[in-house]
Amino acid sequence: MMIESILFYVGAIIVAPFFSAVILKVKAFFGGKKGPPLLINYYTLIKLLKKGSVYSTSTTTIFKLGPIVSLCAVLTVLMFLPIAGVKPVFSFKGDIIFVLYLLGLGRFFTIAAAMDTASPFEGMGAAREANFPIICEASFMMILVLFYKMTGNFNLSSWFSDTQPMTLWQSAGSPLIFVVISLFIILLTENARVPVDDPATHLELTMIHEVMVLDHSGPDFAMIEFGAFMKLFFYATLIARLICPFNTGHLAVDVSVFAGAILMVYVAAGITESVMARYRMDRVSKFVMTSFALAFFATILTLEFIG
Amino acid sequence: MIYSVDTILSLVLLSILFSLGSSRLTVLFKVIAFQGVVVSIVPLIIGGREFGWGDITFTLATMTVRGIVIPFCIYFAIKKATIETKFRPIVGYNASMMGGLIFIVMAAVVGGKLHLPAVSEGKLLFPAAVTLLVAGMFLLMARRNAIAMVLGYIMMENGIYLVGTTFSVQARHIVEFGILLDILAGVMIMAVILQNIKQAFDDMDTARLRTLKE
Amino acid sequence: MNLFYMSFLILFSGGILALVGQRNFALMKMLSVVSLATGCLSGLIASAQALWQEKVFQFSFTYLNHFELSYKIDSLSAFFLVVIFLISMIAVIYSYHYMDHSENALATSVHYFFFSLLIISMALVVTADNIITFMLSWEIMSLSSFFLVIFDYGKAENRKAGYLYFIFSHIGAMFIFAAFGVVYGYTSQFGFNGMAGLPDTVKMIVFVLAFIGFGSKAGVFPFHVWLPHAHPAAPSHISAVMSGVMIKTGIYGILRVYSLLDYHVSVLGMIVLVAGVISGILGVVYALGQHDLKRLLAYSSVENVGIILIGIGIGMIGVATGNPLMAILGFSGGLLHVLNHSIFKSLLFMGAGMVLHKTGTRAIDRLGGLLKRMRITGATFLIGSLAISGLPPFNGFVGEFFIYLGAFNGTLFGNTAFVAGVLAVVSLAVIGGLALACFTKVMGVVFQGEPRSRAAADKDETGNTMLFAMMILASFCIIIGVLPGIFIQMTLKGLSSVSMGYGRIPLEPFIQMTENITLAAVVFLMVLLVLLAMRTLAYRGKPVGRKGTWGCGFTQPTPKMQYTGSSYSASIVEFFRPVAPFQEHHPPVEGRFPEKTIYHSRIDDIAERHMTTIIVRPVMWMFDRLRWIQHGDIHLYIGYIFLAIVVLLFFV
Repeated sequence: MMIESILFYVGAIIVAPFFSAVILKVKAFFGGKKGPPLLINYYTLIKLLKKGSVYSTSTTTIFKLGPIVSLCAVLTVLMFLPIAGVKPVFSFKGDIIFVLYLLGLGRFFTIAAAMDTASPFEGMGAAREANFPIICEASFMMILVLFYKMTGNFNLSSWFSDTQPMTLWQSAGSPLIFVVISLFIILLTENARVPVDDPATHLELTMIHEVMVLDHSGPDFAMIEFGAFMKLFFYATLIARLICPFNTGHLAVDVSVFAGAILMVYVAAGITESVMARYRMDRVSKFVMTSFALAFFATILTLEFIG
Repeated sequence: MIYSVDTILSLVLLSILFSLGSSRLTVLFKVIAFQGVVVSIVPLIIGGREFGWGDITFTLATMTVRGIVIPFCIYFAIKKATIETKFRPIVGYNASMMGGLIFIVMAAVVGGKLHLPAVSEGKLLFPAAVTLLVAGMFLLMARRNAIAMVLGYIMMENGIYLVGTTFSVQARHIVEFGILLDILAGVMIMAVILQNIKQAFDDMDTARLRTLKE
Repeated sequence: MNLFYMSFLILFSGGILALVGQRNFALMKMLSVVSLATGCLSGLIASAQALWQEKVFQFSFTYLNHFELSYKIDSLSAFFLVVIFLISMIAVIYSYHYMDHSENALATSVHYFFFSLLIISMALVVTADNIITFMLSWEIMSLSSFFLVIFDYGKAENRKAGYLYFIFSHIGAMFIFAAFGVVYGYTSQFGFNGMAGLPDTVKMIVFVLAFIGFGSKAGVFPFHVWLPHAHPAAPSHISAVMSGVMIKTGIYGILRVYSLLDYHVSVLGMIVLVAGVISGILGVVYALGQHDLKRLLAYSSVENVGIILIGIGIGMIGVATGNPLMAILGFSGGLLHVLNHSIFKSLLFMGAGMVLHKTGTRAIDRLGGLLKRMRITGATFLIGSLAISGLPPFNGFVGEFFIYLGAFNGTLFGNTAFVAGVLAVVSLAVIGGLALACFTKVMGVVFQGEPRSRAAADKDETGNTMLFAMMILASFCIIIGVLPGIFIQMTLKGLSSVSMGYGRIPLEPFIQMTENITLAAVVFLMVLLVLLAMRTLAYRGKPVGRKGTWGCGFTQPTPKMQYTGSSYSASIVEFFRPVAPFQEHHPPVEGRFPEKTIYHSRIDDIAERHMTTIIVRPVMWMFDRLRWIQHGDIHLYIGYIFLAIVVLLFFV
């Protein structure tokens, strides 16, 4: 079983950049363009890995540590994630808290690396990066309370592996829809997508995540990009398992069903990006608050139903 | 087990949150229309009785008034007065939304303590009714714009209607028709007054009505 | 046992030596530092032994032929003793190079005397076993720390801080006196033992009074007002001891009173929890808005005391609602956070001390780029920041992890436990996010980027004992973060003397949890090593250049254009405006050739703001009315004394 988990882990790492390209494709479709090839992210990574780097004279070792630690955090996080319903490599009681805080560690270092450059733009991005996820974490915790209350278990694998998502639906029912929406908002916020942040914008003043990594180049930048793909994959997997909770026990079927579901999540993100404009910065906190309100609301509703 | 009533009512609760967090009058107006429709349907489906023609006619009538006539009165008032659809609140939107969550929790706690007979089926019925009531009142207090206040008043009235439903499942048509007519008249008068205020002040900010004091 | 006596003796003699030998500055400093450090070390060994063997030591002697001074070291005391001696020892070592102004010999020697008194009195507070002993030690502790706060008495600001601290510590003591007075009124004895037999309502009153009293020492909102004034005023190692250890005696007091009362209702737990939530969130919001490095750290202490209280509150509710797992997780998480916070907060204060020592300023927005020259200070400060933000694999995470587990466990059960659990979980998450913002701000603005003023440019770090102290603390942060097993055992042993009615606490499930953390941390570190190796490979033979930061097309960037601490935190503080009034002063830029303009922002502490209107003014008004008593006539004063004696003779 362990071998299978490790294989899925490695597989997830390999396919994560592919899925991110799907978003680009969807956006191109909405824009009436052909769009980049689906393997574009692999080409970019390889191109970046071949290059050298230029470091700012203002920077210190922290600047070089930033990409490594944030990538390392995401790589470790994926070890706790049940992919396509298969048990994760590691799992223990409360692993989800460790996972969330590990993502926090990655964020700490991304911010620290941005502050290291002494650039006013990167400082601005860093301040926003520190601001928005605060409520996100609270709403994620609220969702965890709901899951814990439903199942009495407290690790990712007991909620998302095998047929467990189905059990969640059976015991929570329709409020789980709100959880899905709430998780989707968290996905958009944490991964710096429209309407929180526009990864394709051209004006540094309006960016959050992109502006923080302006000074990174070469393999360092490759690590950041790679980390971002996998972080998106992490959140997308959670949502995919919720919107498609079926598990036949037949591995090939499960994997294709899961692939379809996760593709849906990415397409949804792409559609959101195509039809929405980025929010004004002061409206973002309200958007994130909506996610918290939904999660909180879902928890109250389930309390009602359980009685 | 999840009843269909509860699913609809959970949507109502969600719409309350939306209306508390929204800065646009048009959103508020759509929410009110939605609530009006739901509130008039709910009595029909709870209780599990067979419903005759009378019930259906009554429901349809309520639905028309609550879901169509009242909201559109307001809508035309907005249109005619060409009021700016965004407005500054007294209590901020984030705070209002948090307040809404707290209202729901409190309503659920109170509802759990009361053990109402009709609640046996739709567990959310009483919490939703109370939240509607309180949130409507909150809107009345926390918003400056006269139209938002009127909408808050209607929301409150929806709540009252729903509370009535929880207490008395039968023999209520006459009383409630009476209430409905009152509301209708009230809303129409308010729509007229709103236009007059608009003509007099070029504004819908009730805080400025204070200048009438002398 | 003898080791305890010995450590007290050495500590006290260290203080006396400092007073005696003030003529020779270097010798005096050397002698007192060595003896204080030895005293702490022997005390540390003794208390660690006492904690490990779970033995109870008791000793008492009679004072003034009437009062009995009695001391008792049970495992809870031993746990706090470990914290006290450990941090004090490291702070003493740090002070050797920090206190290097030989022209200030007298003040320095007095400072060492009071420092020794502070350590002794803190140790006595946590071992005191009756009311008289406790209050006596408590007062010595408050007074000696007061003298340490006004060490730099030349500055009016520091004198004001000392004054505020003096008032607050005595109002706090008054509440504790009131609590113990109620106890004495019912039991007519000075011992603690009768407290379990009080009627329930009395227990409630005693707990609330004691909570206010101890809370004001611990820095619980809204009794924290003195803390952000007093802690920055003291020398940095004293700030480290005060923030890291002394305020924990307040936590000890709350735990001890709770344990003695043996009164388990969820209302008490709710009081503690809500106080913790409010202190936690507001503490870190105010910390974010500060412009003074040490003041920021002081506010962050308020936040961490909040986290500790959340843990204790969860524990108390767990006991009250009959969930042993929730109770033990909450309590042990809270206790572990006591140890953790003492470590990283003193580390951060020491780092701030180094910055202050070298640059001469505490203003965050005047610093910058210090990491390039102060490598060890910067690196240890980074570790401290990561730890205080509660991130794995550092120690701050472990305590919070346990509290989280306890709180989540609570959500499974009835209403009270559910509400408490949700409250704790959500507020911990918010506190975590805000703390991360707060300490990325400190790290980014103070240590990274370019120097924002000449004060911060080209400053090296010197002082080996200072660096040594910080490195020890930083290594503790990592050790506890990766191998928390033994430390959780410490807290569980410490808990065994808090009466929860569970008998012996089984160790295995909790050790299992710490093993999980160890596993996860090791996995993380392994991945990190692999990535480091891969990065080295990826850069082999590649051109690596150095150039200025990309200015987004602007060709003349200056360090003045950097994001400042105020701008970094502005948008977050803005969100909390209702509870943290945020004021900006900024004359508009006018004309074609604008004049120089200024920007000034300030965040008000609502407790401080309302304290003036609600408490200070009525009290002033009242005393104004009573002014006729004070008229300056010496004969009437003698008359008052006579009257007082007569009244006392008749009624007592």
